[in-house]
Amino acid sequence: MNTPTSEQDRLLDHSYDGIQEFDNPLPRWWVWIFWACIAFAAVYGLIPGNVLRGPGRIAEYNASLAEAARLHPPEVEASEASLLALTHDSKALVAGKQLFVTTCSPCHRPDAGGLIGPNLTDDYWLHGGKINEIHHTITVGVLDKGMPNWGKMLKPDQVTDVAAYVFTLHGSNPPNPKPPQGVLVPREK
Amino acid sequence: MTPIDGAADALGGSIAVPRPPASAPAAPSALDSFAYDDDIVRKFMVATFVWGLVGMLVGLVIALQLVEPSLNLASWFSFGRLRPLHTNAVIFAFAGNAFFTGCYYSTQRLCKARMFSDGLGRFHFWGWQLIIVAAAITLPLGYTQAKEYAELEWPIDIAIAVVWIAFAVNFFGTLKKRRERHLYVALWFYIASIITVAVLHIFNNLAIPAGFLKSYSIYAGAQDAFMQWWYGHNAVAFFLTTPFLGMMYYFMPKAAERPVYSYRLSILHFWSLIFLYIWAGPHHLHYTALPEWASTLGMVFSVMLWMPSWGGMINGLLTLRGAWQKVVDEPVLKFFVVAITAYGMSTFEGPMLSIKSVNALAHYTDWIIAHVHTGTLGWNGFMTFGVIYWLLPRLFQTQLYSKKLAEAHFWIASFGILLYVVAIYSAGVTQGLMWRAFDETGRLAYPDFIETVVKLLPMWWMRAAGGGLYIVGMLLFGWNILMTWRRRPAVYDVPVIQAAPLVRESKTPTYAEPRRAGVIAHFMDMGWHRMWEGRWLYFSVWVLVAIAVASLFEILPTFLIRSNIPTIASVKPYTPLELAGRDLYLREGCFNCHSQMIRPFRWETERFGEYSKPGESVYDHPFLWGSRRIGPDLAREGAKYPDLWHVRHMQDPRSITAKSIMPAYPHLLTHDLDFAGIQRRVDVMAMLGVPYGDAVIDGNAPKMAHAQAAMVADTIAQQGGPAGLQDKEIVALIAYLQRLGRDATRVAPAVASGRAP
Repeated sequence: MNTPTSEQDRLLDHSYDGIQEFDNPLPRWWVWIFWACIAFAAVYGLIPGNVLRGPGRIAEYNASLAEAARLHPPEVEASEASLLALTHDSKALVAGKQLFVTTCSPCHRPDAGGLIGPNLTDDYWLHGGKINEIHHTITVGVLDKGMPNWGKMLKPDQVTDVAAYVFTLHGSNPPNPKPPQGVLVPREK
Repeated sequence: MTPIDGAADALGGSIAVPRPPASAPAAPSALDSFAYDDDIVRKFMVATFVWGLVGMLVGLVIALQLVEPSLNLASWFSFGRLRPLHTNAVIFAFAGNAFFTGCYYSTQRLCKARMFSDGLGRFHFWGWQLIIVAAAITLPLGYTQAKEYAELEWPIDIAIAVVWIAFAVNFFGTLKKRRERHLYVALWFYIASIITVAVLHIFNNLAIPAGFLKSYSIYAGAQDAFMQWWYGHNAVAFFLTTPFLGMMYYFMPKAAERPVYSYRLSILHFWSLIFLYIWAGPHHLHYTALPEWASTLGMVFSVMLWMPSWGGMINGLLTLRGAWQKVVDEPVLKFFVVAITAYGMSTFEGPMLSIKSVNALAHYTDWIIAHVHTGTLGWNGFMTFGVIYWLLPRLFQTQLYSKKLAEAHFWIASFGILLYVVAIYSAGVTQGLMWRAFDETGRLAYPDFIETVVKLLPMWWMRAAGGGLYIVGMLLFGWNILMTWRRRPAVYDVPVIQAAPLVRESKTPTYAEPRRAGVIAHFMDMGWHRMWEGRWLYFSVWVLVAIAVASLFEILPTFLIRSNIPTIASVKPYTPLELAGRDLYLREGCFNCHSQMIRPFRWETERFGEYSKPGESVYDHPFLWGSRRIGPDLAREGAKYPDLWHVRHMQDPRSITAKSIMPAYPHLLTHDLDFAGIQRRVDVMAMLGVPYGDAVIDGNAPKMAHAQAAMVADTIAQQGGPAGLQDKEIVALIAYLQRLGRDATRVAPAVASGRAP
């Protein structure tokens, strides 16, 4: 227990319902940190963009966009031939099917017969039925109609896998399909 | 000599000590005889326990609803409606009644006076409990202003103001008739709490009624956001912090039987705390469409607030010097020690979270929930338990039923807190990091929002377990209260107190020792403060000035500088049907889980679309930027999915996203929309300055709404969905959701450039 000294633990001679108070000095570290925080506040506040006019958070954001564009130049779109080759690659098709079930089926049905989105197994296509057109639609989406731009969310090989898988669904004739939408695009043999 | 040296010197050196008047007024001829009113304290104490248990149980329910969505049993029993009930119950019912318990007990003793009016005390008690009951009924029914911790609708808000003023009259009346010359530090904190809560409550809740339990905030968008978090942050400050600091200053030295560590630290930390706190609100809005100058002020004032907060912690913990051995076998002190430690931790964390770059990670995540619960479960809960365990033998005039049970309560609840916060801190940091992670191709590593939710489920289970343990502790607490009450005497002893009346308030400084020369030294001698402590009204006016000046420094520029909110010409008001849909969004409490504010970070814009601009929410009465993303942001939800997607999603979210934790809203497909009521809502919006054009002509609004509803219903049917939805609530909600975030990009925005000075 501390022994009271003249500096330390000097009791003030008032008492409130029996509660007394010491007249101890402020802890020095407390005073110093308080001043340091005040100094930090002043300095930080004076950096342009924080309170005064200056670049600020939007400039930082724009810089981050430029940096990302520099690091990740636009990707080359997959060619029709390379996509068609994938339709014979069983590994790609298994992966594509898995993605289709988790990602596409809420709108297109697990068997692709169409629900919110169109039937993907018939001969009618809204945005082109060639495999590279399907790939393109998946990549950029149809934002007005609620088809997301999956190219942002899936990796390039995931998009090609799922495009290949969708292409192989043609003629699978699921029961109770959504009526045809779009134009007739007969599949070339 | 720098001011720092000067301060340290003056404070460290041997200096004049303020003392009570050396020449006290002549001894009074007679002593007053009176008794304290402990009955009202007993009432508030029981209410504290009852509402605490209810509020915490609701908390446990919503924690379980997050991990098991099927527990959203009915429209009135779903997360979005129960979450505000939890927060309101634990803040205003549990912590509120705890404050009143401690305040009524200690104020009388610190003033050596019975409360000003027994009648006002009863009015305060029953009024407050009625308000809580009203909240418990209206919130689950979906009546809400959609502003956090200010959800209650206008008739209840008015009742709160009336009851609070009754409390204030009773409290200040007691100060006026006190028999103790000086106000003790606990009373300063009570004064600050009572004044500031009144100011905050009134100005944040200003709204125009659009029906018996429906109103629209007079503020919109960024300004409403600013007012809301000025209120919200300072509700934490002046409802959960200062009242409890006041209680700490009374009950801690009482229980420890030790003097308070430092009188001058009390003075400095009190004034700096109340002055700095009030600026800090905007740190809840970093990187949102709030002007950056406001955000910066919110941050730097929060950083400066660190030491003033810790002043309270130091004074609390160091008061125990020389009494630490008592902590071993005194559960009251154990509760206080953990409470003050939790206070210290969360008041370090608060300033840290207010730093913009830290906030960028933590905002919208469970980190904030963890921060809050360190404060509420630790600081507010444990202070309350300590105070009530100390009061029980005194109020029921018997021995505490079981000290062992109190010890068990302490350990179980402490372990519960630990489990809770460890789990939920991990959840917050995990989700924050997942949101911002990019892969090597520059794409989001977790583009599917639900991935970042599913990952948290084990931690959410652990949180529920921690909260469950805390409630087990509450049950032990309740048992101890009940059994102690059963041991009470047949008739309570009412001791007669005798004290000399206060002749007259002193207006002269009361020095016993000579004052030092020099302005700084004089200031540091605190004699001036001693004088203030002798004058309750003078003291209270300075408190009001401190909080009002700080508030106006932020509020005035927010409202007066036009360039804060550059207008966007293409942003138009919601159509009548969309407005009705927006009100459903409020009713269901969607804003509790979905933000509508995309921050300017690449990881946000990649996921949700272009960042939100201040000009986009100028017609949003109230703003709906949100504070937690349990589900994805909806600021650019418009046209993202087809109407039918929304129908199915509302009917059963898991049919769209297998692992979704969102409650189902099938009632939206069966309830008829109140078309007739739309006119009044549009009219009130127009009154608030929203340019509604022809829609304000009587009868037009419902007509317009019907026409749009028919179109939406047609689209749904065409897409292969159910027919005949044109009269149902779902079409209004879909119309609203499909509108979100589309206006700004419609035409190139005409922006008034310039940032605030």
